[in-house]
Amino acid sequence: MFFHIVLERNMQLHPRHFGRDLRDKLVSKLMKDVEGTCSGRHGFIVAITGIESVGKGLIRDGTGFVTFPVKYQCVVFRPFKGEIVEAVVTMVNKMGFFAEAGPVQIFVSNHLIPDDMEFQSGDVPNYTTSDGSVKIQKESEVRLKIIGTRVDATEIFCIGTIKDDFLGVISDPGANP
Amino acid sequence: MPRRRDEYEEYDEEEEEYDAVDEEDEEADGYDDGGKTKRKLSKTNFDDYEEEDEEEEDDDDDDDEDYGGGVGGRGRGAKRQKSRAANFFDEEAAVDSEEEEEEEEGEDDFIDTGAEIPDEDHRRMRHRPMLPREDEQEDVEEIERRIQERYAKSLNVEYDEEATDVEQQALLPSIRDPKLWMIKCAIGHEREVAVCLMQKCIDRGSELQIRSVVALDHLKNYVYIEADKEAHVREAIKGMRNIYPSKIMLVPIKEMTDVLSVESKAIDISRDTWVRMKIGLYKGDLAKVVDVDNVRLRATVKLIPRIDLQALASKLEGREVPKKKTFTPPARFMNIDEARELHIRVERKRDPATGDYFEKIEGMMFKDGFLYKNVSLRSLSTQNVQPTFDELEKFRQTSETGDGDMSSLSTLFANRKKGHFMKGDRVIVVKGDLRNLKGWVEKVEEDTVHIKPNEKDLPKTLAINDKELCKYFEPGNHVKVVSGATEGATGMVVSVESHVVNIVSDTTKELLRVFADNVVESSEVTSGITRIGDYELHDLVLLDDNSFGVIIRVESEAFQVLKGVPERPDVALVRLREIKYKIDKKIFAKDRYKNTLSVKDAVKILDGPCKGKQGPIEHIYKGILFIYDRHHLEHAGFICVKSEACMMVGGSRANGDRNGQGNTLTSRFSHLRTPPRTPQSPMRSARGGAMNFGGRHGGGRGHDALVGATIKIRLGHYKGCKGRVKDVKGSMVRVELEAQMKIVTVDRSYISDNVNVAASFRETSRYGMGSETPIHPSRTPLHPYMTPMRDSGATPIHDGMRTPMRDRAWNPYTPMSPPRDNWDDANPGTWGTSPQYQPGSPPSRAYEAPTPGSGWTNAPSGNYNDAGTPRDSGSGYANAPSPYLPSTPGGQPPMTPSSAYLPGTPGGQPMTPGSGGLDMMSPAVGGDNEGPWFLPDILVNVSRSGEDSAVGVIRELLPDGSCKVALGSSGNGKTVTALPNEIEVVAPRKAEKIKIMGGAHRGATGKLIGIDGTDGIVKVDDTLDVKILDMVILAKLVQT
Repeated sequence: MFFHIVLERNMQLHPRHFGRDLRDKLVSKLMKDVEGTCSGRHGFIVAITGIESVGKGLIRDGTGFVTFPVKYQCVVFRPFKGEIVEAVVTMVNKMGFFAEAGPVQIFVSNHLIPDDMEFQSGDVPNYTTSDGSVKIQKESEVRLKIIGTRVDATEIFCIGTIKDDFLGVISDPGANP
Repeated sequence: MPRRRDEYEEYDEEEEEYDAVDEEDEEADGYDDGGKTKRKLSKTNFDDYEEEDEEEEDDDDDDDEDYGGGVGGRGRGAKRQKSRAANFFDEEAAVDSEEEEEEEEGEDDFIDTGAEIPDEDHRRMRHRPMLPREDEQEDVEEIERRIQERYAKSLNVEYDEEATDVEQQALLPSIRDPKLWMIKCAIGHEREVAVCLMQKCIDRGSELQIRSVVALDHLKNYVYIEADKEAHVREAIKGMRNIYPSKIMLVPIKEMTDVLSVESKAIDISRDTWVRMKIGLYKGDLAKVVDVDNVRLRATVKLIPRIDLQALASKLEGREVPKKKTFTPPARFMNIDEARELHIRVERKRDPATGDYFEKIEGMMFKDGFLYKNVSLRSLSTQNVQPTFDELEKFRQTSETGDGDMSSLSTLFANRKKGHFMKGDRVIVVKGDLRNLKGWVEKVEEDTVHIKPNEKDLPKTLAINDKELCKYFEPGNHVKVVSGATEGATGMVVSVESHVVNIVSDTTKELLRVFADNVVESSEVTSGITRIGDYELHDLVLLDDNSFGVIIRVESEAFQVLKGVPERPDVALVRLREIKYKIDKKIFAKDRYKNTLSVKDAVKILDGPCKGKQGPIEHIYKGILFIYDRHHLEHAGFICVKSEACMMVGGSRANGDRNGQGNTLTSRFSHLRTPPRTPQSPMRSARGGAMNFGGRHGGGRGHDALVGATIKIRLGHYKGCKGRVKDVKGSMVRVELEAQMKIVTVDRSYISDNVNVAASFRETSRYGMGSETPIHPSRTPLHPYMTPMRDSGATPIHDGMRTPMRDRAWNPYTPMSPPRDNWDDANPGTWGTSPQYQPGSPPSRAYEAPTPGSGWTNAPSGNYNDAGTPRDSGSGYANAPSPYLPSTPGGQPPMTPSSAYLPGTPGGQPMTPGSGGLDMMSPAVGGDNEGPWFLPDILVNVSRSGEDSAVGVIRELLPDGSCKVALGSSGNGKTVTALPNEIEVVAPRKAEKIKIMGGAHRGATGKLIGIDGTDGIVKVDDTLDVKILDMVILAKLVQT
């Protein structure tokens, strides 16, 4: 789920940047530092949309670096248990398949793939129903439900299922090549 | 008074008994192998090894209910009741081990009151049916009937789950009940003694004041007699054979129940139970009970055979079989065809009982490859049977009813550790009425777990036996394995099949199957243990048989090693002692195109099963590469390939290794010679490529994220020093100190890497600069082809200047390098003397670099520029892959992240007055990257081979270093693409508009106010500053 929230961060700035463009530097550094990162609480920070406020800087002894508390608005993406997401399959193997929804990697175990779908190894490993009507392979788009999330410092990993109503392939690259 | 007397007597007795016990002990030590230690177990867990091992004879199992029931029935085991007494005597006579009597502890509470006889009902309930005195006149049938009745009743009591603790308590013997005496008798004659006493009782009637006699099957050498007084016992046994009246011992009141309670474990052996063999060839092996014969105390178990077919065949043919006691054949399934091939006679028989067919070889029964063996119950261990998953899987393999096997796992519960459940655990009820009820553990008592049910309308907490509970997980739970082979691993539950939980490991993304019991919920992320002894996960090790491989998994006692066999992935399970040592050498290999590969170089696999995979080299040994591809899910992402089957991609990382450098160089030269052909332009391949790597690693992926990071040393001799990590070797880290100009090796734990400096910048510069330096001298001769573009003066300077400068840089300790105080003078030596100030290395440079002409650079970085020195600028150039940079002339601060990775692009140009090395710097720079000199909108001379030189204006810089040049002095002509070495900058004249092609102001425009020798005096447009810059970096601007 995406959220637009306000976060705060203490930015350290090198004294060399103190000048006219200090604020710009601060913002660009903030973007560089923050965008694309992931925190357990908020999920992935997708983009910074604005700066709320920049607090007073504090010069640090010894280094001359200055710490600014910066409040910024940003769009975050955080997957939740039970959330339905659409994802692109990135890898298929006999244990299941991996899919990505933006920065989030989701693993769908073969236990969580409907029983009528079987793994077909070969050049393009895939999961196919016995009648061959539905096929999950690399680049397929699937709708899945997240049943578990694990949040690390740098990534969020999810376990998903397609063993439920209205879940499964929504577009198949193999269907119309 | 009588009471007092009794007490006195009691003490007396106690003393006597203690003596007796001592005697017994001595006797037992000589007699029995068990001795004292075994005594405690004796009642319950008596193991008759000798007898059971080889005994195959069939027992005569006629029933004699009269006697058997009368005697054995008290033990409540149906089996005992049924056997004919004589049978037992035989059997027991064969046994040479015997047991001791009860110990007398706890007797202190025992007060002998010589109380009155409790009513009969009471006694019966106590599970200690006695022969009542009234029986004396009754015939045997009557006794039998009564006993049957009692037996049946006591059975009822036994299984009556409704009985509360209090009721049960009431049945326990009290001080008023008759006491139990233990009397020694001849071994093997216990039952005989009991029967004789019974006969005596029948004959003598009320004269005999004893209440009952008990002979226990598992207790040899003793019988119990129930009586109120010792005198009664003495009276009763007077004149009897096989009884030794000298040893009459009182059983403490507390232990009286134990005497007669049957060991519940024995009952626990039922079909589908997992057991372990205790003795013989199969000792320790897991077996599954197929059939139990409680009468004969035997069970049929299913085992994975350990049969040496060769030996068996030889034996059958009558040949000599070498007796090798130590050798145990490995467990594997019996292959009947194999046996037939060895001319072993195989009979096919139908088992009359079950109707199944068995293959019979030498009296051994086989079915589906399993051995069906009839063994004594006593040779089976039922306690602490913790089948590992592997074992169970083996059993599952050939058995058609997989589900049945798994469901029988519930028997595993019996072997759970104490404290298995913890408050807060989620559990599910697996047995009984409340089956499938889920809840949380609230409180754990001995065997009872109080759970808070998940359902409404149920009482707040329920007390449930822990055997009826199983841990419960839901898909998506994050768990940790706490025991078993995968102990320590963490992962997320993907599915739950009754007691088995499927987990996707966090680190390996493998599917693990574990018992719910072995798992706890956890938020921790680990891959389990990663090291045993000196060996760690992903180490390259040499094995016993001189083969080698990479440790891809660490199990509890062994490693999984991916062997260095390129044809197919070969994974071996290796124990610690089978590993000779860790291979920790820097070795190089050649790829298909004879490029030298070193560790960490990225390669692509061109051949074999893993064709197309790509990743960094983790290990090289004997021409075999171990490549780590994080998308490769098998073998922990490791792929083993021949080095010839690979192709280097993206250039060598040049991991600070000098040895291979020469070779790497040659491969690079091939790129250099044909700059425009590939995107790997000369500059790019050598530097840019390297930088890319730096950048990538700066991202924190791979295990050397530390390399290049700025750290602070927290401990040891260098405590407090800051520096950059040059290399990580095992647990040691090589750190380049900022303050001391040297590289030291410290323990990894000594450093803290939270020094907040833009590590990636430094890192890149490290790769860009540091590692490359030594090769420069050798490169210089190559550069003549770029000389045309320089004015003639530049070339010699370039060549001459370059080498010493580089040398100094390389070796800061050479006397050549000026001391550090030259810093202020912006001396050429500066960066040589202080490695940490090597071009591009301080973050400052990185910042500076991408902002030519931007306002903020001017003020603060002015100093830097001054200090930056010609060399610095050189490096700036060296690093500068500016064709890729959006460093447009407009001086747009290219604050894109990418700039961060291309540090010092045009940084620190020596356009500062007073920098002594002004004239030499530029060619030096140009030496290895001619391309970035150019900027759009400058006037150049294009002199292509076979054509006259023509004036043109650069319109566009192509990524490969070449330029699109619009011919004509104002750029009106046709556009041609020219290589950098075909282009020569047109030197501006006084008062002309110029563009600065290098240094901090690269890209800035200005006006040339005057020329002083090789220096030009420039007024920069943006800042209106007047700068003195080398003419070489000034180009005539053509405004369009």
